[in-house]
Amino acid sequence: MAAGPLRFRTPHIEELPITQSRQAPGFAWVAVGGPPEDPSKNWGTTNRKRARASAGGQTDAQKEALSARQQKEIERKIRDLNNDNSKDVQIPIPKKEGGGGGGAARAGKTQNTKKILASGKTFAHYLDDEEAEIARTGRREGDVEIVAAPVMMQRPSKTPIARRKATEDSSLDSSPAPTLPIHQGMRPPPVRKPSVTSTVDAMDLDQDEEADRSIPSEAEIEALLSAPPLTYNQARAAPPPCSAPPPRKFCEVCGYFGRAKCMKCGAMTCSVLCKDTHDEQRCLKFYA
Amino acid sequence: MARKSSHKPTTTTNKLAPRTLILDNGAHTIKAGFTSSATEPDVNNDCHIIANCIARSWRDKRTYVGSELLDECWDFGELAFRRPVERGFVVNWEGEKAVWERSFVGQRSRLQCDPHETNLILTEAPNAPAALQRNADEMVFEEFEFATYYRTPSPSLNAYTPSPFLSPSPAPGVPLECVLVIDVGHSHTTITPLYNGRPINPACRRLEIGGKTLTNHLKDLLSRKVEVKNEDWIVQEIKEDVCFVSGSSSFASDLERVWKGGLKDPRAVDTSIVVDYVLPDYETVKRGFARPHNPNVSRKEQALGLDGGPREHIVTIGNERFTVPELLFTPSDIGMQQDGLPGTILQSLHTLPEGLRQPFLANVLVVGGSSKFPGFVERLEAELRMLVSDEFVVRVGQAMDPVKNVWLGGARLAQDEGLLKERVVTRQEHLEHGDVWTRRRFAGKVDR
Repeated sequence: MAAGPLRFRTPHIEELPITQSRQAPGFAWVAVGGPPEDPSKNWGTTNRKRARASAGGQTDAQKEALSARQQKEIERKIRDLNNDNSKDVQIPIPKKEGGGGGGAARAGKTQNTKKILASGKTFAHYLDDEEAEIARTGRREGDVEIVAAPVMMQRPSKTPIARRKATEDSSLDSSPAPTLPIHQGMRPPPVRKPSVTSTVDAMDLDQDEEADRSIPSEAEIEALLSAPPLTYNQARAAPPPCSAPPPRKFCEVCGYFGRAKCMKCGAMTCSVLCKDTHDEQRCLKFYA
Repeated sequence: MARKSSHKPTTTTNKLAPRTLILDNGAHTIKAGFTSSATEPDVNNDCHIIANCIARSWRDKRTYVGSELLDECWDFGELAFRRPVERGFVVNWEGEKAVWERSFVGQRSRLQCDPHETNLILTEAPNAPAALQRNADEMVFEEFEFATYYRTPSPSLNAYTPSPFLSPSPAPGVPLECVLVIDVGHSHTTITPLYNGRPINPACRRLEIGGKTLTNHLKDLLSRKVEVKNEDWIVQEIKEDVCFVSGSSSFASDLERVWKGGLKDPRAVDTSIVVDYVLPDYETVKRGFARPHNPNVSRKEQALGLDGGPREHIVTIGNERFTVPELLFTPSDIGMQQDGLPGTILQSLHTLPEGLRQPFLANVLVVGGSSKFPGFVERLEAELRMLVSDEFVVRVGQAMDPVKNVWLGGARLAQDEGLLKERVVTRQEHLEHGDVWTRRRFAGKVDR
C-alpha cells in the first residue's frame, strides 16, 4: 500500500569500466554477447539452420568436419566406385573341351597349386594377412632387413608413408609453392662430394647454399635402390596439404557447381530448377 | 630341359628356352606375345591384347573366357564381368588359369606355346603382398611348368623402351638412366621412379583412381538420364569415345559453358562441347558413336523412329565429358582423401634427395590405357609446371603406344640374352631352393 509518496524502484545503474580508457565523447563501444546466448531461448528448434546459427556460429573447422554418417556414406560410394565385379556376379567357368586329364588338371597338379586354386580369398584378406604379419614380426616374408620394428602397434597402420613422416617434417605439408623446402632435419644430409663432375655444376645453383643439389654419390643411390619395397598401404598417396582449396561440390541433378544444400538430406543443387527436381525425385528424406 | 633331374646341381647348361613369352598381366587386358632374340619385336604384329575377364552374356546364353570376348562376341549388351585381377593383383587364380589356358596354352588359341619350352616374363603391380607373389611363383612353376621365369613390377619394364625424349634410342637391353613412370591403369595409377631400370622403392606411390573408377563414375552420372547400370562395356566405350581432359585453368569455364542456367537467368548451352551419343543396340547400330548436339529433336520421337529418321537411342552428354577425367587431378571431387596426380608426383619426389629431382622431372613418361584421354599430357605438364620451382625443367612425354609399352620393354629386355639369363629363375632352381629364395631373387637380394 502506497502510504507515502510514490516511489519507483529504479534499476541500479552502474557504469561498468570498459577496456577503452580513452574518454569518448558521450558513447563507447561495448562488447555485447550475441543474441541467444542462453539455451532457454533456443527451445527445441528442429530447423538445423537456426540451431546452428543460434549456437554462436561455427568455426571453420566445424563446418568442414562432416558428420559421421555423411562420411560413411562417402566412403561407401568410393568403395562402390572401385568395385571390380559389378554386383558380385558368379560366373561358373565353362569346362574345356578335350579335357582328358581335365578333372585332375583343373584342381591343380601339386598340393600348393590345389590350395591356391581352391582358395576363395579376396584381396582384402591378403592385405589384412600381410598387415597382421608385419605387426607380429616386424618384417615381411622374404625380407632380410627388419622393417622398422613397430614397438607399440596395436592395429596395423593404414596411413601412407608420407603422412607418417608428417610429424618429423611438417614443412612438407605446407603449400605446394614453387620453392622446395629445405630438408635439414629430415635425414642426414648427403655428404658433400668435393669431386663433383663438371656436368653437375650446372645444377649446383649458388643461390641456395643450404640445399645440396648435386647428384648424390653411388653409395647413396645404391642405398636408395636396395631399400625394401613398401607395403600396399604405405604406398598410398597422402591427402592434399592443408593449404589446398576445399573440395568442390557439384549439383546432383545437372553436374554444375553446387550452390545450395538441401536442408533435409544435405545434397547440393545449383539452381531452383534443379532443386525442384531434387525435391520431387531424388531427395532421400521425402517421406521422413 | 633339366627340370626333373634335381641331382644335377650345376647351372652350366644353357638354360634359356628358345622362345620367350612376355605377359603384361593387367587388370583390364593382358598384353601377350612371343619374342625370340633373332628378330626385333614389332608392337603391332606380335603383341596381342586379350581381355582379362570372364564375361557372361544373358542374351547369348554363353560365357566368354579371355580372348573369346574380342574375337567371338558381337552383342556386348548387358554383359556381366568377373575379373580375376583385383586391385591390380591376381587374386583368383582359378579364373586366371582359365583365361591363360584359353588364350595361349590350349589348341584353339592364337598364341600357342608349350610352357615347358618357353621362358616367361610376367609383370605384376608394384607393392604386392608377399603371399600373392608366392602364389604367382607357385602357379607358374608347378601348374603351368614354364622352363624359366622372371617376375617384375610392370613399371620397371618401361625403362627398356625407346624414350620419347632421346632421339637415338638405346640398344635393346640397355635401360634408360632416369625415368619417372606414371602408369595410369585400370585399377589404380602408380608413380615409380626408375634408376637404370630399378625402381626406387621408398618413392613409389599409388593413387587409387584408375580406368575402372572413371567408368563407374561415368555410369553413375549417366544413370541420371538413361538406364546403364548393367552396361559396363557400353559405358566404357562411351568413356573412350567422348571424354577429354580440360585445360588447366579452363575446367571452371568449360563447366560454365554447358550450364543451362538458373531460374532467372536461363542460358544457351554451348553446343561445341555437348554431344549426342547414339547407343548401340547391336541390331542396326553395332557400335555407338557421337555426333554434335541437336537440341530441336524430341528424344522419344527419335527412340521410336517417329520423326522419319532411324530408330536411335540417344543420350546427351555435356559436362560428364570432362568432369569424369578430372577425377585424376582432383580426387576430392568425389570425396576421396587423396591428392591429385600432380600432388602425388611431388610427394614421390620429396622422398628423393634433392639432386635427383631434376633428372626425374625432366623425364616423366606417361603410359597406361587411361592416359589416352585427349588433353591429358598437356594438363599434367601444366599442373606440374605450376607446382614446381621455375628453375627446374619439366618434360612430360607419352609413350608411342601407351597400352603396349610395357610389353615392348619386356620384349627388348628378352632380346638381350645375357641380361635375361641373369634375371630369370629356372624351374629346377625354384624346386631346389624354394619359393622364399625365388622371391628374394626377383627382389634383387640374392646374387647368382
